Amino acid sequence: MFKNKKTLFSQIGLFLAILGPGIITGSVDNDAGGITTYSVAAAVYGYNLIWTLIPSFIVLVVIQEMNARMGIVTGKGLADLIRENAGVKITFFIFIGLLIADVGNTTTEFAGVAGSMEVFGVSKYISVPIVGFLIWFLVVKGTYKIAERIFLLFSVSLLMYVVSALMGKPHWGEIGHAIIHPQLEINTHSISMIIGIIGTTIAPWMQFYMQSSVIEKGLKMKQYKYTLIDIVVGCVATVVVAFFIMVACASTLHENGIQINEAKDAALALKPLAGEFASQLFAFGLFIASVFSATILPLATAFYVCEAFGFEAGIDKKWDEAKEFYILYTGILVVGAAIILIPNAPLIAISLWTQVINGMLLPVVLVCMILLVNNKKIMGEYVNKPVNNIIGWSAVTVLVVLSLILLLLPIFTNGN
Amino acid sequence: MNSVTTFYLSRVIGQKVFDTHNQSIGVVKDLLVDPESSTHSSGHPVVNGIKIKRSGKITFYSFQNFHIEKINGNTKVICDQLIELSTDQINSNLYLAEAVLDNQIVDINGRKLVRVNDVRLVTIVNDTFAVAVDIGMEGLLRRIGIAKPMKFAFSLFHASIPAKFILWEDVETIDSSSLNIKLSKSYKKLQTLHPSDLADIIEDLGRKASAQVFSALDDERAADVMEELETETQIHILESLSIEKGADVLDKMPADEVADILDALEDERAEQLLNEMEKDTSQEVRELLVYPDHTVGSIMSSEVLSFNQNMTIEEVLIELRAQKPEMETLYNLFVIDENEILLATFSIRDVVISPPDVKINQIMKPSPVHLRDYQKINEVAEIVSKYNLLAIPVVDKKNVLKGMVVIDDVIEDLIRKRRTNK
Repeated sequence: MFKNKKTLFSQIGLFLAILGPGIITGSVDNDAGGITTYSVAAAVYGYNLIWTLIPSFIVLVVIQEMNARMGIVTGKGLADLIRENAGVKITFFIFIGLLIADVGNTTTEFAGVAGSMEVFGVSKYISVPIVGFLIWFLVVKGTYKIAERIFLLFSVSLLMYVVSALMGKPHWGEIGHAIIHPQLEINTHSISMIIGIIGTTIAPWMQFYMQSSVIEKGLKMKQYKYTLIDIVVGCVATVVVAFFIMVACASTLHENGIQINEAKDAALALKPLAGEFASQLFAFGLFIASVFSATILPLATAFYVCEAFGFEAGIDKKWDEAKEFYILYTGILVVGAAIILIPNAPLIAISLWTQVINGMLLPVVLVCMILLVNNKKIMGEYVNKPVNNIIGWSAVTVLVVLSLILLLLPIFTNGN
Repeated sequence: MNSVTTFYLSRVIGQKVFDTHNQSIGVVKDLLVDPESSTHSSGHPVVNGIKIKRSGKITFYSFQNFHIEKINGNTKVICDQLIELSTDQINSNLYLAEAVLDNQIVDINGRKLVRVNDVRLVTIVNDTFAVAVDIGMEGLLRRIGIAKPMKFAFSLFHASIPAKFILWEDVETIDSSSLNIKLSKSYKKLQTLHPSDLADIIEDLGRKASAQVFSALDDERAADVMEELETETQIHILESLSIEKGADVLDKMPADEVADILDALEDERAEQLLNEMEKDTSQEVRELLVYPDHTVGSIMSSEVLSFNQNMTIEEVLIELRAQKPEMETLYNLFVIDENEILLATFSIRDVVISPPDVKINQIMKPSPVHLRDYQKINEVAEIVSKYNLLAIPVVDKKNVLKGMVVIDDVIEDLIRKRRTNK
């Protein structure tokens, strides 16, 4: 991906060729920010927030299906379509937001790298610069494709959370009960937790990523059925991993009343409760997820910004040909890594503000998407069916309401 | 108005239109230019019409009675008289705001797609022309509405915002909405590009636009471009074209390339195309389609020149002149017996330096290096490099000459392998 020359996937065999965009997007979804949110939510509320994964799953499937359909029909990226149909000003707003949010997201990924390596006794002043440089080198030297495959393989390691969870000996009856009848006090903190979970599961930049992957694979409407399977598999994988992270943390940390702030704390806290092995598995999973997302995020962001504003982009271009692209890419990576290295950096504030921007951006991007996907000029006969629109618009409404709450929350909580 | 006024499209769109009594009569929505207008030596398209929203209704007027004035740096649109355009007049025009602004166009000199941030227009005497497209940072800032303050800020540091224009004669617009322009846009300027460059551009276009641009090419050129496209774009294009046009293009391509494409295409479509193609071409392709992937047969070219060993050089030359083979076919010439069994090879160099009455068997090189049709491809590169060959003959197990593998195909296969290994 991110090459303008499309690669030849058709050789690998039909199913494997089609399988991918949804699954990769799903794996990137469970990044350091996601793992942190799930762990913290479960540590505080036990099994009582697991139900949020169900509506998240539905919305995730609906949105990604729209992206895939748009990519297949138009062969154009979401950034292209928004620029061509919504004009410069809206595009500018979206991409400035996306840029700032993704610098924040990248920072969170490096926090994940730092935290997970500290579990293994490696200082962040060693791990972050090394990982940052390796990522930069990997991408600029054009071996990105290899990297993506290695990561895809490693993303299987996210299933380690299943092992971690089982070692914590969860109470399955209680989990089932909590999903159907969650014991939840409605207050600002619990609502912000819910928003956090949904926000981290459906991040705005992923819509751009999904659509580009579909185009890069050169999928066709005839293969729509397989694409849908791919999307559902990817979303199921995302939600299943999230589920087990929450179970792992709920059955150990919550039951012992341990509160945490970071995913790293979860890994450390698992040690006495579920054993050293479970703790290291958790940390290793966090490390892989962080590096995977830290590779893709800055690259994807630089690519979409350039796509929207008409700068040359792509890792197959030389530095002179695509200056803006490389400067952006390097900049996002360097800033993200540098913030982690500042002693006493306000990481919690950064991750909060990143979520706020994500939350504001998501409805805007979704409204653009729904308008585009209903535009006959663009989509022809493949415009949204009423069912898609009902789910789509209700998702937008819920997200707008949630985002508003998220925006207003700090005002109320500060007033207290 | 006997003056020269330059202005930007973005400064006009959304502006109020005033009549001679300074009364507002509507808002500018779009400008229409005649894309094919060559009345002017400059080749700049004339602005013919203007799309105006008047009390909630969209109407098209002739631009003849409109003019643009700049007052204190602000652009003002003034209209003397409203003359409505007929549907025919509207439909032959290109919409600047809808089809050009924010869209991708082809930069002919840069041989790539660029995104249009703004369009620069000029009024000379009574005519207004689109002269250049703005693809630079300045245009972007102007559109966002912060160009002037940014310019001021930059000027404090004695710097300027990078501006980048391309003259209209050096761009080709691509209208993928295909709602308002005649379908038979000629894309004349694209015809000057090298097929490889054109293929790269077509790959980067959206679905609709790529098929549209491709179908505007003549068969010969379309075939050259088709050869250079990536497999998935080839498939997409062939599925968008009519069977007849598709078959015409494939007829002009080497059989081995056609076989590769049809192999990737759906069986039903491939069969339809084969039936529509010329008999002898499709026969060659069918023979090649039998070979499985990764065998020499699947990449070999079946266009080979073979001769009887008793022929003279003179006769060979006459034969070559009659057949007018492609360059590639001349990489290696073959000698076969009456059962088509490969006996020897000779090169075009041997032909050129020999006297006309010399017989082939005096210059030919017997027992040549050769490949088997079911041999694995990955062994070929080594042989090519070891013997410094441009083309190697391919025979079946009875030593009957089936075709030859050309160095280009070997390189292509190597590149593809490296790319998929990544």
